[in-house]
Amino acid sequence: MENLIVSSSPHIHSGASSRRIMLDVIIALLPASVAAVVIFGMKALAILAACVISAVLSEALFNLATRRKQTVGDLSAVVTGLLLGLNLSTNVPVWQCVIGSAFAIVLVKCMFGGLGRNFANPAITGRVFMLIAFSAVAGGAMPAVVELQASATPLEQLANGADQLPSLWEMFLGLHGGAIGETCIAALLLGFVYLLIRKVIKWHVPVIFIGTVFVCYLIAAQDFSFALYEILSGGLFIGAIFMATDYVTTPITETGKMLFAFGCGLLTFIIRYFCAYPEGVSFSILIMNILTPFIEKWTANQPLGGSKHA
Amino acid sequence: MSFRKNISALKVPHHKNTAGMHSVRISPPKEVLLPMSMHSGQPAVPVVSVGDSVRVGQLIAREEGKNSSPVHATVSGSVTAIEPFVQDGGKTVLSIRIASDGKMEKDPNLAAPDVHDLDEFLAAVRSSGIVGLGGAAFPLWAKLDAVRRSPIQTVLINGAECEPYITSDNRTMVEHSDLIVKGVALLKKYIKAEQFIIGIETNKPDAIAEMNRVFADDPAVEVKPLKSVYPQGAKQVLLFNATGKVVAEGQRLASLGVIIINITSLAKMAQFMEDGMPLVDKCVTVDGSAIAEPKNLIVPIGTPIRDLIEAAGGLSAEPGKVIYGGPMMGKTAHSMDEPILKATNAILVLNRKDAQRAEPTACIHCGRCVANCPLSLNPTAFAKAMELEDDAERLAVLQKEKVQLCMECGCCSYVCPAHRPLVETNRDAKRFVKKSKAAGAEKKEGGK
Repeated sequence: MENLIVSSSPHIHSGASSRRIMLDVIIALLPASVAAVVIFGMKALAILAACVISAVLSEALFNLATRRKQTVGDLSAVVTGLLLGLNLSTNVPVWQCVIGSAFAIVLVKCMFGGLGRNFANPAITGRVFMLIAFSAVAGGAMPAVVELQASATPLEQLANGADQLPSLWEMFLGLHGGAIGETCIAALLLGFVYLLIRKVIKWHVPVIFIGTVFVCYLIAAQDFSFALYEILSGGLFIGAIFMATDYVTTPITETGKMLFAFGCGLLTFIIRYFCAYPEGVSFSILIMNILTPFIEKWTANQPLGGSKHA
Repeated sequence: MSFRKNISALKVPHHKNTAGMHSVRISPPKEVLLPMSMHSGQPAVPVVSVGDSVRVGQLIAREEGKNSSPVHATVSGSVTAIEPFVQDGGKTVLSIRIASDGKMEKDPNLAAPDVHDLDEFLAAVRSSGIVGLGGAAFPLWAKLDAVRRSPIQTVLINGAECEPYITSDNRTMVEHSDLIVKGVALLKKYIKAEQFIIGIETNKPDAIAEMNRVFADDPAVEVKPLKSVYPQGAKQVLLFNATGKVVAEGQRLASLGVIIINITSLAKMAQFMEDGMPLVDKCVTVDGSAIAEPKNLIVPIGTPIRDLIEAAGGLSAEPGKVIYGGPMMGKTAHSMDEPILKATNAILVLNRKDAQRAEPTACIHCGRCVANCPLSLNPTAFAKAMELEDDAERLAVLQKEKVQLCMECGCCSYVCPAHRPLVETNRDAKRFVKKSKAAGAEKKEGGK
């Protein structure tokens, strides 16, 4: 006998792999990571390293402890750690990074069954967890995490009516306070282009997300440069490009993805414009993550030739 | 459906290495094995006995039951065995084994059928043993028989040949355009069809040029170049791209006044009307990473795969997988002793490395399977439904998600970055729905 392999069709494959997709996201985050270190110094490097190492280690340990197949090789923990780190400011102590990252991996991802099973974006949930847990711990002091840096972020300055704002150009290059990876719009756009070229994501979600925020401000404030300033501020670009496009926690259909992006944009605007809280990207994405199963239901494709009665 | 502008399709590597290779007849095989089930309906029934001597084209098994098709001797020689043969999927069918005398003598009784009207035409096609040669293997006469129930205005002639590697339909168009012209004339005369559309992918410029040449003066025939994307030749995809129509679930294609015929089936039919030679041989593309000299071979049906590989220069590498047909939908052979069937249009032999499949990892919900399904189905929903414990719930979800529409084209598995066996899951799900429905119907019957 020739010992032939007998298997189901198809017998060829596109060559795509989950690991390669994760690697592409990591590569796309490199410009923002480099920019973070350049702008915010070695403390930024320490934050990123702490988050990534903690994420990978906690996934490895969880798999060991629960006797599961080791999955750190799929690189998804690296992506989560890197994204969380980029969303923190230099005020955050390293030990908090380690705890936040472990929380994101173990409680948000692994406990739900690992990669592909979590309903909320681990990096965002980790960030929100840190925001609540550690600011409360810090008591009356300035919230240590995220939006607030030594110098107030432009969003806060806007909210408080400050008169010394960074120029639009400085905003684009990221030379202002904020989370280490969110400020440099130029670096984030570079990553966006890479993801488009590699066909990891399509342009729709980031463009609709950012576009919705822009248009809402344009209508509300009737001021073009103010609207432009708003979209360049805070975590909108990093959120729209890297977190609202997360496969696992967003709708599976193309129309669903677009609806998701629109919802994110609208919620971001509402939180920023009407609420006391200066930033709304994380909360918007998190809320839309929760709505994802419903959006999927509403936007299910109509099968070609499928009749409702048959 | 009018808002739908296009059907999503895949760019797969073409590998049409043999497109320019003239088909060559192999030397007569020592032996052929003819299973009674080389068509989609009920198996044929042998009419010869062990020891009988037979000649090429002689009837050796008559049709029996629904959508059956007769089988003819494909070599001259003697019947050495009528024995069970385990076919793909573990089904056992009777097969007739004929030892060839090497002479390939034709049955002297063969003559062009005497045809004057539709009934005689359909009877002739029925006796030819011709089935859908694109792969479906549905008896051709049964397809044409639809004209008795409702008129057929449009005949879609399928020359898309969208599967990678395969070029046998391409060779039919280039080498036997005269037969295609005659086939069209026959359908005009007896089926009374008014419009003929020949759909051909643009990666076959020779075929398109030849078809344009022979049908230049015929306003009823349109040669339609189609984008070279997979699965352009699938029923629903071809229908939509060539006519803009969609056949609804549970509806017969013929009820739209359309039938789809594979271009080689049409040529074989014309050949039969001319000299009375039933379907006894096939042009088969032999290719793949373990084949030394890829070729288009004309082989008697029933020839063992081994003979084709030998005729194509033998193996250039250790074989890992032998595929009947294309790499997207083809079925694997268990052994190289298995025979060429009526609807076999290619034999691919992949080397060990190409035959390996990666281990599946967790679904990351990327949506590529959904975005690339030509029928806009949701394979992840099928997979999730199959994990449900409750049978009734599982059935309800699968039916709502329309798993029965899946044609197993393979696009979802092809693009899945997690290498999930989506087509296999879809197939299991379809089988489950079919079984549950049948069981449900039985229960109803019993209650009456």
